[in-house]
Amino acid sequence: MLVTLPALGQQTGNMLIRNATVLTITKGTQANTDVLIKDGKIAQVGKSLTAPTGYTVQDATGMFVMPGIIDAHSHQGIDAINEWTAPVTAEVAVGDAINPFDVALYRALAGGVTTIHAMHGSANAIGGQCQTLKLRYGVLEPEALRMQGAPRTIKFALGENPTRVHGGGNNIVPRTRMGVEFVMREAFSKAKAYAAAVDTYTKAKTQKGFRGAPPEYNYRLETLAEILKGNIIIHCHSYRADEIYMMLQVCKDFGIKKIVFQHVNEGFKVAPELAAYGAMASVFADWWAYKFEVYYSTAYNAAILTRNGVTTSINSDDPELMRHLYHEAGKTQKYGALSDDEALALITLNPAKQLGIDHRVGSIEVGKDADLVIFQNHPLSVYGVPQVTIVDGVVRFDRTKDADDMRLAVDPNEPVEAVELQQRDHDSCLEGLDGAFDTIFGLN
Amino acid sequence: MKTPFVAARLSLALVWLLIAGPLLAQEERELLPVTGTYAITPVTIIQSPGRSIDKGTVIVKDGLIKAVGKNIPVPPEAIVLKGDSLYVYAGFIDGLSHVGVNKPNNENRDRVKDPGNPPPDRAGIAPQTDVRNFLNPTDKAVEELRAVGFTTAHVVPHGGMLPGTGALVWLGGRSADDMVLQSQTSFFSTLATADRVYPVTVIGVIAKWRELYRQAAQAKAYATTYASARNGLKPASTDRVLEAFYPVIDKKMPVLFQAEKALDLHRVLDLQKGLGFPLVVAEVKEGWDVAPKLKAANAKVFLSLQLPEEKKEEKKDEPLKSMSAQEKEALDKRKAEFAAKYTGQAAAFQKAGVPFGFSALQVKAGDIRGNLRKMIKAGLTEDQALAALTTTPAQLLGVSDLLGSVDAGKVANLVVTRKPYFDEKSVVHYVFVNGILYKMDLGAAKKEAAKVALEGEWTVTSETPQGKSEALLTIKKEGTQLTGTVSADFLPQPVTLDTLTYEGNVLKFSFVMNQDGRNIKVEVEAKVEGSTFKGEATLDGGDKLPVQGQQKPKP
Amino acid sequence: MKKLTAFLYTSATVALALAIQPLAAQSQKSTHATYALTHASIETVTKGVIQDGTVVISQGKITAVGTSVTVPAGAEIIDCRGRWIYPGMIDANTKLGLSEVASDPRTRDFNEVGDIVPQMRALTAVNPNSVLIPVTRVSGVTTVIATPEGDLMPGTAALINLHGYTPDQMFAGFEGVVIMWPQSGRRGGFDKRTDEEIKREYDKRINKLNEAWQKAGEYHKIDSALQSKGVTYYPEMQALLPVVRGERPFIIQVDVARDILNALTWVREKKVKKVILSGVSEGWRVATEIAKANIPVIAGPVLAVPTRDYDRYDKAYANPGLLHKAGVKVALGTTDDRGNVRNLPYHAGYAAAYGLGREQALKAVTIVPAEIFGVADRLGSIEVGKNATLLISDGDPFETKTTIHQVFIDGWKIPMKSRQTELYDEFLQRTPGVTKQ
Repeated sequence: MLVTLPALGQQTGNMLIRNATVLTITKGTQANTDVLIKDGKIAQVGKSLTAPTGYTVQDATGMFVMPGIIDAHSHQGIDAINEWTAPVTAEVAVGDAINPFDVALYRALAGGVTTIHAMHGSANAIGGQCQTLKLRYGVLEPEALRMQGAPRTIKFALGENPTRVHGGGNNIVPRTRMGVEFVMREAFSKAKAYAAAVDTYTKAKTQKGFRGAPPEYNYRLETLAEILKGNIIIHCHSYRADEIYMMLQVCKDFGIKKIVFQHVNEGFKVAPELAAYGAMASVFADWWAYKFEVYYSTAYNAAILTRNGVTTSINSDDPELMRHLYHEAGKTQKYGALSDDEALALITLNPAKQLGIDHRVGSIEVGKDADLVIFQNHPLSVYGVPQVTIVDGVVRFDRTKDADDMRLAVDPNEPVEAVELQQRDHDSCLEGLDGAFDTIFGLN
Repeated sequence: MKTPFVAARLSLALVWLLIAGPLLAQEERELLPVTGTYAITPVTIIQSPGRSIDKGTVIVKDGLIKAVGKNIPVPPEAIVLKGDSLYVYAGFIDGLSHVGVNKPNNENRDRVKDPGNPPPDRAGIAPQTDVRNFLNPTDKAVEELRAVGFTTAHVVPHGGMLPGTGALVWLGGRSADDMVLQSQTSFFSTLATADRVYPVTVIGVIAKWRELYRQAAQAKAYATTYASARNGLKPASTDRVLEAFYPVIDKKMPVLFQAEKALDLHRVLDLQKGLGFPLVVAEVKEGWDVAPKLKAANAKVFLSLQLPEEKKEEKKDEPLKSMSAQEKEALDKRKAEFAAKYTGQAAAFQKAGVPFGFSALQVKAGDIRGNLRKMIKAGLTEDQALAALTTTPAQLLGVSDLLGSVDAGKVANLVVTRKPYFDEKSVVHYVFVNGILYKMDLGAAKKEAAKVALEGEWTVTSETPQGKSEALLTIKKEGTQLTGTVSADFLPQPVTLDTLTYEGNVLKFSFVMNQDGRNIKVEVEAKVEGSTFKGEATLDGGDKLPVQGQQKPKP
Repeated sequence: MKKLTAFLYTSATVALALAIQPLAAQSQKSTHATYALTHASIETVTKGVIQDGTVVISQGKITAVGTSVTVPAGAEIIDCRGRWIYPGMIDANTKLGLSEVASDPRTRDFNEVGDIVPQMRALTAVNPNSVLIPVTRVSGVTTVIATPEGDLMPGTAALINLHGYTPDQMFAGFEGVVIMWPQSGRRGGFDKRTDEEIKREYDKRINKLNEAWQKAGEYHKIDSALQSKGVTYYPEMQALLPVVRGERPFIIQVDVARDILNALTWVREKKVKKVILSGVSEGWRVATEIAKANIPVIAGPVLAVPTRDYDRYDKAYANPGLLHKAGVKVALGTTDDRGNVRNLPYHAGYAAAYGLGREQALKAVTIVPAEIFGVADRLGSIEVGKNATLLISDGDPFETKTTIHQVFIDGWKIPMKSRQTELYDEFLQRTPGVTKQ
């Protein structure tokens, strides 16, 4: 059982997966094929490979192997989501509050997910920095979940959430979509000026005999300046076509190229513009009607975006959806008739591109991280059941060995029968916000 | 419960009487001690863990330990405390608490208009605060902690993420200033979030911490430049918050983080790794897996004296089970497995070679000795436990030259017990704090015993609109827990009490009775005097009835 | 001033929504004729699969099913070669028609003021022109129960067909009085009440329920004695009369194991004649007790996380199968109030894959709910004499790869359009594109 193992953070495995139908994503479907894993990396993909001594062998006859699923929008595995007190909070980072004990991570693994983008919430126009995590469930150190080398990302948010929290809740700009645009432009303008002042000071300091006051250190502006320099990818919570278009203009004006729109329910309406800009989209398969700005949605969104050339992914934003993203991807075959490879790319290679980690994960190719899922039945079938999930060559979920209770920490003060009935229709994007807001404004 | 030998306090009530009362009112005057010299002899002296003297003598004079050893002459001015069958230890040191520290008054504060930019104090940022401004020697907690053998505590102000600087204080003294051994001993910090203003999340707290530290480092560097020649330069910052960081940046003052949970420890260690300040962590409760990381970071450690409560689950006789016996057993087992980790934490640190003291921030003083015994049962040796109470914290706090052992020249902080301290039947007789003798009120134990006298049968009568009603209350004691049942003619079968507490002389109990298919909740609150009680019963949170109880003579 | 602005803002958005939705919702008309669906694989549910068969629809009913069926003269023939016919699916737990935009209180009509308000009828509050209805039915979900939600007895739920312009046209022949069973335990980590407070509150709620039931019994006695003439106007009790008399069930929404047991005990002690348990997330924990009580359940959502941290990850998927194995009659419900009742077949697919089996899962969304609601004479299978409420697909409707080609409800051929398909048609290749030339 995982719980009895010591910290496995940096552990990688050696393994041979034998005789599977391999869904490579980039190189088609390969029947009766083996995958050899060495030191946590994919070493070879081919027929009748032999396992060097000491390698574990996983027979996958009659099974399907696909790359580990990547969820580009999650709020699991972190203890803090929304620093909702200000419209701009670029300096906060959910990576400072990683929680390796979150049992939702294990449940996601059981749904074939190996990498998640743990995000700040959507209360603020410019929220906090997000963190790409590898689901090495069983390790006890927060740091061991962090996907080292993944690019920095940050959450932005448009529309109802920031306007209701700040304008509606606190009487502070933004109360409208006009205000949201202003907040963005103001923040970037200030960051630009700050970066310039820091540059000037740094250069001046090298002059002999220079004496003078530095610009006061500002963590927030420093972080924003990193976005302008292209060092942080924006992941922007958005719904309506107009606000998506607005954000594209802001990015254009400030020379920001790396932007992924999240949710982006009306992305389909501005798909040509998104494609032209090179912006990407991470969407729900079919969620809609939970609030007004998603009333004019369509489940064909992913298909329209894909057909228009927008790199699109399907995400969960939810501990429940997170466990069957392969099923969510399958819905694009009903809504828009995407091919198997196109549908699977929505939860593997495409989200990897959106997180800037596609050179490491997202397809079954030699040299990539050995993050894999073995399925009984095709993953796009409703009867597809993940059997084994592997991260860095280490088995982190095995359906046949799964114990009921997979908690890594137990609170001895809690009565045994404590029930946590999960709230069903819960939009975790605004998690952490005070309950009173929710009652008054029906926030989602 | 305990009376100090010197009644060193004028209670607030007394002050009020002096002002408000008639001019010729009676006045209690404290009587000063006759001498500051004491001799405890012949006594077993545990000088420090593993170092003891049988039938020796300890001489206390003018606040210091004058002499320790065998065959030491007793000075004529000394009061002799007969030490037969007694044990002397160095006074215990608490690594972190709020004992004797008043809470600031935060009531009726205005709503912050812009929650993103609150005044620092509203954000919990007040590192310039000195705990000395809040010391209160009459705090009952001082007396309670002293009664279990603590003589020194590292105390810090109440507050949010940066409450202020701590001080090492005596658990005794006549005035606030009298209590202080050393001030400015630590830069206290927590990961506590602010109330509806920035930072409202732990990630906000960490970001703010980093920003303040970097701003302070920048401000401090500039202040040096500015001081060297001010003309032509913008004046340096005099921000109190930033200035408070300066000794931390100079590594002259450690940051003491309250970090209870494993994840708190990881977060604090990550913060420290980035900024490089000297670190102390205290009130650690879940550190068993983090010990190596703490060691690598060279952090000083104070483990919490609080342990998870062993809650007895109510045994309900249900005809139907909502959980299978195997499932329940498996869950209980996991719970027990983790409970054992908490009690075994100290032993785990010992094994990992990480020196630690204890902190009493959240533990109830009355639980300390029991918890120490649990830790010993879980693998800590008695010597190791004693070290964690005395020598190690003295080292960690940099006061080994003054405290932590029974040696001549050290401050007279002593604990004198009958039977060895970790023995379940051990009783603390005397505590010396800074040379002042506190005699423990041994009658207290008897009073405790009096509580137990609640056990037995009580006839409870009540005046209802329908006339007098009588019931039989049976109180039992299981371990330390009081339980009870009520039976009466109007009840088809005895009803088990849902709650039963006895504090001070107030007895409270509640139960639910079924009357004509309706569940009625009965809550009783009564004052006990000897073998009677008088009080009120509340029915379903509404109607009230007077009740009286008379204890039946025990057979 | 702030309040006023907020009000105006909300009113404006709602007005906008209401102004637009009827136009978009049912832009094409459904048609009504005699239809012959030929050369189809027919999944009758109750009588196995018929290959290369024909289904004849006439006057809203299925008039013929089989391999040697004569197509009536004048019938519109729909060639179903390579296609499958299934009964329309029934979602046994929804708020469809009672909620349009979930976060907007002005579009939520399932939660009335008051703890005992069984007289509140879902049927008359259902919005026949909800944009959500076409979105749902084109996925093959043809019939749903619209359920009030709120306090102890929030109202009376109604089974509706997802076609029609008035409640009468939509009503599918079943109503039941909802009980939201009070939770006896802690509701979650956020629930900071003391054990004592929880117990006190629970007892209070149960007392209220007992009181309502007792009064309903008294009312029934008087009503019977007076033969319903001159009985005091008491709408709450009038709504409970059919339950007391066993003409309508209580639909008890309950999830936690202990609460399910409490509900079972209550039902037994109060001698309630007809009962359905709904939700039952933790039904698997007490499955044998439910089976013993011989009470049917509507389980779901299946696509849900387990109720407790220490439960196996797939417990919600497995729940319907475990209940079925214990001998409980199981229908499925999505419990969805956000426009995704259309996912009922996927809840069924997961239940099938995790223990219920495909055959039983299919029954759980067709004939079993029809039986539970007492409408099996009309719905739930492809049989002669039943309502022509069915779907034509190119495969297993539980699979996402499958397309639903046609839906019939009460013999009406439903346009396979919804606002979502219309947006697809408009935007797949938007004109103008990036430039407006």
